[in-house]
Amino acid sequence: MRKPSERKTSHWAAAACALSVFAALVVQAAPTQLIDGVNIMPTWTLIAIFLWAGLRPHFMPPIIVFAIGLCQDLLTGAPMGVWALSYLVAIAAFRFRGEDGMPRDLPPILARFAGTLLLAHAIAYLMGSWSLDEWADLRPLIIEATATMLMFPLIAYLSLRGRRSSRTGFIGG
Amino acid sequence: MASRRSGRHEGEGGVRFSRTLFIALLVLSGALIAFDRPDSRSIALSDFRSGFTDIAAPVLELAAQPVRWLKNIGPYFRQQGELAEENASLRQQLIEARYWEDLAYRQRDRIEVYEAALDIDTPATRDRIGAWTVADPEGPFVRARLIGRGRDAGIDDGYPVINLYGLVGRVFETGRRSARILLLTDLNSRIPVMADRSNARAILIGDNSAFPRLEYVGRDADIQPGDRIVSSGDDGILPRGLPVGEAVEARDGTWRVQLYSDQAPVDFVWVWPYQRVEVPVDEPDVPEAEQAIPVDATAAEPTPAGGDQ
Repeated sequence: MRKPSERKTSHWAAAACALSVFAALVVQAAPTQLIDGVNIMPTWTLIAIFLWAGLRPHFMPPIIVFAIGLCQDLLTGAPMGVWALSYLVAIAAFRFRGEDGMPRDLPPILARFAGTLLLAHAIAYLMGSWSLDEWADLRPLIIEATATMLMFPLIAYLSLRGRRSSRTGFIGG
Repeated sequence: MASRRSGRHEGEGGVRFSRTLFIALLVLSGALIAFDRPDSRSIALSDFRSGFTDIAAPVLELAAQPVRWLKNIGPYFRQQGELAEENASLRQQLIEARYWEDLAYRQRDRIEVYEAALDIDTPATRDRIGAWTVADPEGPFVRARLIGRGRDAGIDDGYPVINLYGLVGRVFETGRRSARILLLTDLNSRIPVMADRSNARAILIGDNSAFPRLEYVGRDADIQPGDRIVSSGDDGILPRGLPVGEAVEARDGTWRVQLYSDQAPVDFVWVWPYQRVEVPVDEPDVPEAEQAIPVDATAAEPTPAGGDQ
């Protein structure tokens, strides 16, 4: 049986997870073109899913990953199921396995995230094109993937710092 | 208990990634993609989508507020120095505008008299519904905007949406408190248009690029670079004469349109509750004398140019 302090920490982590995923979804869909005509938006939701699937795997079972993807489809007006399917497959393929879960060094995390990102975007591109009955525009996907890859190290570094700073594990445990 | 727990952790990184559930979700996703096609979406799926956006719209609206505020900071400080000069210039323009305002009122009164005499039912522009965009997904699959007003405000599917500069798109998904606008640049957008100068007809087709292309332009169509392109109203869904953009010739010889609405970000828009022209269902009563006219004779009759409305 877990101690009350551990349970409390777990509740905080669950709240942080829910809040970060919610914020990622909102920012992904909200009109955030600060510079007119320039629309560079990293895939915040994939970053959130990937990190939480590594830090607290039991927060990201397939059904939650699917639900987040579906919410993104609905918010962005994309055909339903496109992002749900791509996140599901990418996370299933590249999630951290084994007893230790996510490593504490940045390079292997980056490499695995790059794989997740590429697979998720490739599936989204193929499924989206299938839904539209013609090849979708590849350029926005490439821009989005590049922006995500540039932004990810910072977010991952902060997450790992948060994990190290607290042995009880506010985030990582 | 310990062995069960270790069994869950083994090879799974501490989480049970159920294979059955995973496959079921894959199948469900595939089914959703197969059935949720933009051109043949079922009513149930449309209702589900619009219901979801109804719930999400207030949250997105809230999230958009700080972004709008941030966007206005730069221009605010930049413009402070220019304000005095601009003020003087505006005063001058206001004086000149008063003359044009008087003229416009006189012309409006005159047009009302003409319309009454000719029995023309011109759609009114004063009933348009203003709305802020609350989400602007610019992904590879859709070019759309979500606005924070819906059926409760009188918005319905198919209504044209305009901003300060011109036609932005049309409403294609309406919820109670939100609606989604299909932009002219979207892959699924098809708008009948014409060149204002020559009345040459074409269909404006979105291809997810910033410059939608003009298709079905006749071989000898009278279109020139810089021609003002407006909606033709041929489909009965959009009103005639809404400004769309300027014709530009692409390097491959095709015609494209530089949209007027692109002059500024699509932020605040107006939805025009334009009632589409219904196609008559019943055959009109034709006098017997007219029915006797042979088909060739009617086909040979000249038709007035541009007289489609």
